[in-house]
Amino acid sequence: MYIETAADFDVTDYLRKEMMPHFLCPGCGHGIALRALLWAIHDLGLDRDKLAVVSGIGCAGRLSAYIDANTFHVTHGRPLAYATGLALARPDLHVVVITGDGDCLAIGGNHLIHACRRNLKLTCLMLNNEVYGMTGGQVSPTTSETRLTTTTPLGNQEPHFDACALATAAGAGFVGREVTHHVPKLKELIKAGLEHPGFAFVEVLSDCTEIFGRKNDMGSSSDMMMRQKSEIRPSAYLDTVDTPFRSNALPTGVLTRNDRPEYGAAYRQAASARAGTSS
Amino acid sequence: MRDPVTTVRPAAWPKTPALKVGPADDACNVLIVGVGGQGVIMVSKVLALLAQSQGFEVKQSEVHGMAKRGGSVFSHVRFGKRVWSPTIPKGDVDILVALEWAEGLRWLPFLKAGSGIFICDTKRIVPPFACLNRKPGAPMRYSKETPAEVVAHVGEAYAIDATDMAEQLGNERAANVVLLGALSTALDFSSTDWERTVAEFVPKKTIPVNLEAFRRGRGWIEDARTSTPAVDVPAPTPATAAPYRIRLDINPAWCKSCDICVKMCPERCLILNAERIAELAAPDKCTGCRLCEWLCPDFAIRVNLDAPEALAR
Repeated sequence: MYIETAADFDVTDYLRKEMMPHFLCPGCGHGIALRALLWAIHDLGLDRDKLAVVSGIGCAGRLSAYIDANTFHVTHGRPLAYATGLALARPDLHVVVITGDGDCLAIGGNHLIHACRRNLKLTCLMLNNEVYGMTGGQVSPTTSETRLTTTTPLGNQEPHFDACALATAAGAGFVGREVTHHVPKLKELIKAGLEHPGFAFVEVLSDCTEIFGRKNDMGSSSDMMMRQKSEIRPSAYLDTVDTPFRSNALPTGVLTRNDRPEYGAAYRQAASARAGTSS
Repeated sequence: MRDPVTTVRPAAWPKTPALKVGPADDACNVLIVGVGGQGVIMVSKVLALLAQSQGFEVKQSEVHGMAKRGGSVFSHVRFGKRVWSPTIPKGDVDILVALEWAEGLRWLPFLKAGSGIFICDTKRIVPPFACLNRKPGAPMRYSKETPAEVVAHVGEAYAIDATDMAEQLGNERAANVVLLGALSTALDFSSTDWERTVAEFVPKKTIPVNLEAFRRGRGWIEDARTSTPAVDVPAPTPATAAPYRIRLDINPAWCKSCDICVKMCPERCLILNAERIAELAAPDKCTGCRLCEWLCPDFAIRVNLDAPEALAR
């Protein structure tokens, strides 16, 4: 079920080849997440002229530049705000937001909770590498406790954000999480998010090898990937296993899915009703 | 051809229940084997309870707990006027019931030579270690004997496609009860007693399907004695040649030497060459699983599976 389209999906068809190779460090998980997104787009057969990718600032924000579609590289933390305007003005577009953990949860945290609350049809792909990689490795809202960064030389003492719990609490219609190592599963998750009629929030646990991993002595990118894999627990197992194994691990898979009314449709309906009465 | 009905009764099992108290060898020995999760223990418990309710002394001994690992499971059931040991000596099994084909073959040496009865499901559950060679088209290290070949070498043997019969009833899991039905023909208990005991053991909702499965298994053996049943299922033969040929395109201009592909390849067939660029060092080991393609953050690897005829053209 996962890999049926693997043979005819060539990621280079979806890339701006003149921009390649991309600027990401060797072993950065963001490239894998980008592949999963493009594979999901390929699977759904979305028209790339009707696809708009909006991204903010940061390593993750830079990814939109490599996608051969309509892309929009905007100010730090605001991709969701731009995307909201875009999706409201152009309901025919399929709007995807690529954002990082700092971009989405720190400077853009306000935009995230309101985008979740409105439940406008958008897909938000948050690549969580626990650090501000592009600016030199400062602590981010998702940095785990005790981790070393350039701004936490004694180890991070702040509790970190659970982005999926935040999005669920703020009312997002679809919330999911996956690690980069599970590429076909990640693709399926993004696909489900793209198909969801409301706001879909997908957190990808990525790895920053060069800056975060090196500072914390976490080994190579494959070591970091395997570590992440060992620290998650697929949410599908929650119901099937009597005693949950890794009970303190991060749940992955589809975590929330509801059918709250979508904001854009409600807005357009109210607008057309007003237009009808005033004439 | 198969022996006549009269030999179905195990030699050690006298027809009259007026059994003399004697040495241990008056016990009837039934060995039930299979793979974890198939219901080996359930079958042996039904038999044990039934024999007990008929006034026999029963001893049962098993190895279990493999259900989640697909491992080998076996259960010894011995009953008679007097039973001393809970396990059956090698070569003393009167009836061997196997729920899986290779497990049945594994335990064949336990069967009493000449008079033992072998009842085996032709269901094949291929264990992971039989597929260690992951090349497409590679041979499986699973038993190659076909049911016809094995049946010819055992005095009295039946290879039933019990799983298929249970599937036709709508519940694959009733295959063990089909085999119970087959087993019931070899023992001297009444059909009503069997069905009553089976109904005690299965979940309430599945009683009708299990009783039907029991009757089918019983009927199958009865038919098999009067006619030559079509028992032969061909051995699993993987394709002799791989259905495709694998070609890796590695773009050296995009590779950043992160060595994810080298470390993550399940076959360890990639290396970083002198220029620290990924290279397929052992093309014959590559199975085309695409893991390197998927995990390459730089989109530098593309796995192509070419159909052989496309290459010939």
